[in-house]
Amino acid sequence: MTGFPSTARSSPNGRADQVQIRQAVDPERAAQLFRQVVLPHLGDGLALARWLAGNASDAEDIMQDACLRALKAIDGYRGGNARAWLLVIVRNTAFNWLARQRSSTLVMVGDLADVDDAASEASATDTTLRSTPESELIRRADQQAVAEAIAALSLPMREVVVLRDINDFSYKEIADMLDLPIGTVMSRLSRGRQQLAALLVRADP
Amino acid sequence: MTPISQDDRIALNALVDGQLSPSEAAALEARIAAEAALAAARDEIAATRTALRNLPRSAVSPRFLEAIDALAEPAKPAVVPQPPRRNAWFEGWQNIAAAVVITAFLASGATYWLSAPRPATLEELIADGHHRSLLAATPVDVQSSDRHTVKPWLDARLGISPPAPDLAPTGYPLVGGRVEVLGGQAVPALVYRHNEHTISLVARPSAAAATAPRAFASGGYNMLEWIANGFAFTVVSDLEPSELAAFVDNYRAAAS
Repeated sequence: MTGFPSTARSSPNGRADQVQIRQAVDPERAAQLFRQVVLPHLGDGLALARWLAGNASDAEDIMQDACLRALKAIDGYRGGNARAWLLVIVRNTAFNWLARQRSSTLVMVGDLADVDDAASEASATDTTLRSTPESELIRRADQQAVAEAIAALSLPMREVVVLRDINDFSYKEIADMLDLPIGTVMSRLSRGRQQLAALLVRADP
Repeated sequence: MTPISQDDRIALNALVDGQLSPSEAAALEARIAAEAALAAARDEIAATRTALRNLPRSAVSPRFLEAIDALAEPAKPAVVPQPPRRNAWFEGWQNIAAAVVITAFLASGATYWLSAPRPATLEELIADGHHRSLLAATPVDVQSSDRHTVKPWLDARLGISPPAPDLAPTGYPLVGGRVEVLGGQAVPALVYRHNEHTISLVARPSAAAATAPRAFASGGYNMLEWIANGFAFTVVSDLEPSELAAFVDNYRAAAS
């Protein structure tokens, strides 16, 4: 008799624990939870996967993998923001997938020095000689140019920009999902959008 | 035009995103009205944001929705017809996925008890955690002999905290607390000291009935475990079993 939950069958009042465990692993209940928690947010998950992976067909593979993980982990879902819960799984799945696919070009999240360097390089584009305001040039950019600009962002900035502008999470939600201080989220979003703007202005024909 | 500081740029982003308080927003708007560079940057941020938000979003195809829905279907996890895919890897992956699902369900019901993790695992994890804490710069995340410091600290992080009496009068002063992660679950641990020996007391929430302390050894450490007050307690130390048992008696007396 050890008293650990995994050995509850031998505990004096094991019945209460057994009920709890049976609920947790009941396939019917897991399926029901999965449908409530995961299915409504497939579109959001696909969009995140698409912009992290760079293309739509890989996004489906990532999303399917993420859904399997979500199903296995559905017991761990404790209510609350289902969309955020699922998209954290999608994000982690996409990162694993990216690490396998192109480990050589991947900028890991930990490389914050790289992030800062890249951001400061991409900062000031000279506006004084331009007749058209940058905001106008950005407005003219076509979808292809925007997609290429997103793909050019380093992953730490790309994920924050996508979670904010594609998935429409609040700063606070993003900070919670990525387990980052909110100041870091704001800084990465600012720098990410700044790099995007610079790329879009440069892409103007 | 003067370049814009990163802080100003972050504030402009927050303004465009509607994440500033009304007073912060008003103050920034006033500065924007006075500084053309700020106004240009604000427009640039807004245009970038709009470009991102205007990207087309493809709908979830019925085929994909069906495939995902089938993942959760206990009866027929593997029989959803799939249109041919160009990617052979994906086909193989589908089969693996189906196998994983079937395995998960097989492992879930009647076979659960057979496949349940062996009891030693958690005990070993606790012994490992104690061992790691001794190698770290300090065995505690919050250092205090005051339970009014340790308990709120654990509460704030985990939402739970075990009784944390200071047992200095009986020779076991409270050193502090830390967070242990056991099999993915974060649980509170208290740290006591006795004659230069460190004692870790890990408390996992448990609904089971109270049990008397049981002594054993794992990973070269002496350990005791019991259930009381809604927690499954495990103590681990390199103290002699008799001294560790004395500590547990003291703790149980002070905590009840």
